[in-house]
Amino acid sequence: MSSRHARAKSLTLDFLSHDEGMDEVEKEKEIGKSYSFISRTSEKTTNNHRYNSSLGSINEEDESDEVESDQQVNLDQLSHDVDKIIDSLSSDSNNVKEIEAEVSAKVIEYLKKLEIMIDVYESGENSLTFGQNPKKDSDLIESINRVSALHRSLNGSSRSNHATMQLLNETSVVLHQSMVFLEEELRLLLDEPMDQNSNSSNSKHWDTSLKTLKERFQSFAAHPEMGTGGGGGGDSNAEIGDDGNESIHFPSFTPQSLCNIGLISNAMISGGHEVECCNIFAIARRHAFEEELKKLGFDKMSIDDTQKMNWEALEGEIVTWIKVFKHCFSDLIPCEQQFYELILPNNPAICQSLLGDLACGVFSILLNFAEAVAMAKRSTEKLFKFLDVYETIRDSIPLVEDNKIGHPKQCVEDLRAKLSFAQMMLGEAAVSIFCQLENSIKADSNKTPVPNGAVHPLTRYTMNYLKYACEYKDSLEEVFQRHLKIEQEDEKHNLMLHHARREKKPNRKLGSTAGQEDDDEKKSPYASQLLRIMDLLDQYLDAKSKLYKDPSLRYIFLMNNGRYILQKVRGSAEISQVVGDNWIRRRSSDVRNHHKNYQRETWTKVLQCLNHEGLQLHGKVYKPYLKERFKNFNQLFDEIHRTQSTWVVSDEQLQSELRVSISAVIIPAYRSFVARFGQIFTPGRQVEKYIKFQPEDVEAAIEDLFDGNTTSMAKRRNLIQNVLSV
Amino acid sequence: MWAGAENQGNFLGRISIRRNQVASMEPDTHVEDLDQFHKLISDKFSPLLTDYPHHHDHDGDATPSAAGDAFLSAAWVRKLLDAFVSCEAEFRAVLLNGRDLTQIVKPPLDRWIPDLFDRVVKALDVCNAVTHGVEAIRFMLHQAQIVASALEQRPFTEGQIRRARRALAAVLSSIVVDERDGGGKTTERSWSFGRRGGGASSKERHHAPNFRSLSWSVAKNWSAAKQIQAISSNLYTPRGGECSLAQSVYIMGMVLVFVMWAMVACIPCQDRAGLGTHVPVPKNLGWAQSINVLQEKIGEEWKKKEKKGSSGLMDEVVKVEKLAQSLTELTDNFHYPMEEDKEAEMAAKAAKLAEVCRRMEDGLGPLQRQVREVFNRLVKGRADVLEVFDHAIKHCNPSV
Repeated sequence: MSSRHARAKSLTLDFLSHDEGMDEVEKEKEIGKSYSFISRTSEKTTNNHRYNSSLGSINEEDESDEVESDQQVNLDQLSHDVDKIIDSLSSDSNNVKEIEAEVSAKVIEYLKKLEIMIDVYESGENSLTFGQNPKKDSDLIESINRVSALHRSLNGSSRSNHATMQLLNETSVVLHQSMVFLEEELRLLLDEPMDQNSNSSNSKHWDTSLKTLKERFQSFAAHPEMGTGGGGGGDSNAEIGDDGNESIHFPSFTPQSLCNIGLISNAMISGGHEVECCNIFAIARRHAFEEELKKLGFDKMSIDDTQKMNWEALEGEIVTWIKVFKHCFSDLIPCEQQFYELILPNNPAICQSLLGDLACGVFSILLNFAEAVAMAKRSTEKLFKFLDVYETIRDSIPLVEDNKIGHPKQCVEDLRAKLSFAQMMLGEAAVSIFCQLENSIKADSNKTPVPNGAVHPLTRYTMNYLKYACEYKDSLEEVFQRHLKIEQEDEKHNLMLHHARREKKPNRKLGSTAGQEDDDEKKSPYASQLLRIMDLLDQYLDAKSKLYKDPSLRYIFLMNNGRYILQKVRGSAEISQVVGDNWIRRRSSDVRNHHKNYQRETWTKVLQCLNHEGLQLHGKVYKPYLKERFKNFNQLFDEIHRTQSTWVVSDEQLQSELRVSISAVIIPAYRSFVARFGQIFTPGRQVEKYIKFQPEDVEAAIEDLFDGNTTSMAKRRNLIQNVLSV
Repeated sequence: MWAGAENQGNFLGRISIRRNQVASMEPDTHVEDLDQFHKLISDKFSPLLTDYPHHHDHDGDATPSAAGDAFLSAAWVRKLLDAFVSCEAEFRAVLLNGRDLTQIVKPPLDRWIPDLFDRVVKALDVCNAVTHGVEAIRFMLHQAQIVASALEQRPFTEGQIRRARRALAAVLSSIVVDERDGGGKTTERSWSFGRRGGGASSKERHHAPNFRSLSWSVAKNWSAAKQIQAISSNLYTPRGGECSLAQSVYIMGMVLVFVMWAMVACIPCQDRAGLGTHVPVPKNLGWAQSINVLQEKIGEEWKKKEKKGSSGLMDEVVKVEKLAQSLTELTDNFHYPMEEDKEAEMAAKAAKLAEVCRRMEDGLGPLQRQVREVFNRLVKGRADVLEVFDHAIKHCNPSV
């Protein structure tokens, strides 16, 4: 087999050089050389061949050449006679008259010649291989086609005629022999690309090879006679190879092989062996595809095994699968179609049926995997891979509907149904997984509050999940719409059949909670589900906030989470669009309310200490009252500083907003309180004892709040402790 | 339109009218369901037993009217699958009726239902394997069609006979059966149809028909027989005290095993070695009676053919093989012209072959789609039940 390739390559190499613009004489010489290298007999027999002129000089064994030339003349004459016989047989098919002995003799002689020609290919050690000698090949094909035609005409005449029948019998034997020969050659030719691929596939780029393929097909198309299997096959052979020797990637046949495949399959079809021919194609090409899929990394797996795989491994398989599936749809199958159309230009029906059968077989295998994936245990992290598979399948359906993959109608119809079913399964799985997010929120029954009022991990998880999900918004919208439709169908049948059934089925009536908050807009089922999850998250956070004993911390927690959610929503155009402006406005005002509540909860008491009222007794500032006030303030402020600087507000803006708002209230109040009442104390010891913070100290301390950073806090606390202990 | 939505309609349509009546919450409704389920199984499976003609002559002759749905014919297998589909729909209705969800999270159902899911997944692989098997039969059909068309015109020429012989050889070797591989000893058990190429050199290649193999397997090392065994594992007859819902789950598992087994016996499948032994259908149960008899009959047929490396019990396939054998004998020592009576005999057989081919061609497509339908229903049913099951688990054990 490999030597066969080497020869084919040397042939095409010469054709390549033709392309590079050598002058006529040189070109002829080059071609001549290559031919003489391949097979001497080739040139010697081609008296009327176009290379002949340049070949004469190389002939060394003139004697045997003459014998062959004589035979050639003889054969040409005989062929001509047989053609005439065929003509006369078909022109008066109703004619029952005996076939003349002379005619019979001619036919028998011709049949013998054909047998000898075939024998050259089958004779043992030194036999010729198809493709080795294009001229001989095309002569052989021509003769076989002639015998096919002869058989047809004889078959069309009356079988009751003894001589005709006798002749038909003789012809049938040789025709059968020819067909078996062609069948085996075709099988070998179709098996070729696999050997070839194993060396060269990886080095080649899909795009370039596809381009080459297309160009090559175009150059083929320019030679309409090629497919007819008539004479002149040798010539078109020579011209086909003229734009390079690189074989196409898939189906990777050399131009020579392509040409031979075309010649042989057309000869088989015109010999009435269409079924045999198609069988060979079907088996060989399926095999080639299986190999190709394997090479691309796709291995067949039972559904059972897929279910047992861990998710990480399966994820990898899914990535490969998507690549392979798309590649099949957009590259391999179109190439395959071009291949058939190139080989069998006059048999579009056969092309379509071969392609359809093949495509259905291949996609059935690929779809099995998608179905297996859809049945994998559902969990939230799988959503996005499921949707990837879903989208891949969804996008392929229009191609099937446009008959891009050929047809026997039924098989394509079955494939379409299979695709829809897989799409439906994956869609339902996606809906169910997306709704599981709800469960994971509901199911969390952890009773420990998040330390320091920080953003809850579930808030982060949920929001990031939703944000990611919104990248698949269109697909999710689609699967939810379809799910709703299915539910409605169910509902309808339920009503018709039995109203109590499914009463207790998990209620996932989408859209029922949609308008709860945003009555002004009608939400899609997906949007409703998303809002539902956000609402659930809110409820969840509200419940979690109640775990804090300190109401101030509770508000900080709510603020933190509310702010985080808002940031995420604002950061994603898709989510913003889904939730709507009203929702965002409402949530912002919620966060503001939490802020206000916090301020009230923490700082009202502090401000009360700084109230100018209630310090007087009998019209004068009463010092013990003042002392009490300052003492209270110092204690309160210190306490607040100590606890709240460990609290966490990770959103910088929120953090500074909080600090600013606190400063804005506390600093002026404190400043004016100190300014007005500070002088009442005896300067020195008393001032030091009661006015422990200068307004600047208070300002600085406020800047420490919500830092969550306990080390820097400790330092600051020490500092204050020092001040206090003085 | 969604295929699923269409199916949904069918599925609901199949549920018996009885369910239109008011659903009662009484505890014995499940008992009533169970009786109904038993009855449905008897109703659906016993016609499969009685419908077939008891007599076949050695060529597989049967009166044309009855031939279409002869025992183990493609049409018969479709009926079998029809029966299965009805049972599955009824089962789903019983389970999803939702009258008593607490039961399904209690023993034994809390184990039995996940077991059933597992069985269903395994059955899906069987469906896929069977689909490949139908492909193999189709390949055989194409070869048989060549024979039939080669022998259409008389008197026969030598070329016709040779062509027919070649195709006959292909018919008889087109389903290379796994059992020959020797029961799991070979490392790669790729099941194939078409004769193996076996690396014949280019010189030998013209002397014998040399069909390249085509492995269209489910997966490497997959075995239909082992799969059937796996589907039936842990399938225990419920004890007397077990609730009626548990009985239904058990019955469904049983029916599933039986139908898958029968399908694998009829249609060529990857590795069926030891298929004869793996169906634990309980004896002496009223509802299972027809299944018992069917199993026995199919088991007998299987034993007869197993040793020969059978290509399956499907009636049409068996007939094609028989006709192919006798046609091969008739073509031996052919000399042109053939004797009148011998030729007539041959032409008659060829005509019969053509007739079986036509039936096969008509039957295979619908059969393949019916297998697919079973696949779809199993998937859909599993998803529905799974949803309810998960829901019930969460509902009843909120801590989970």
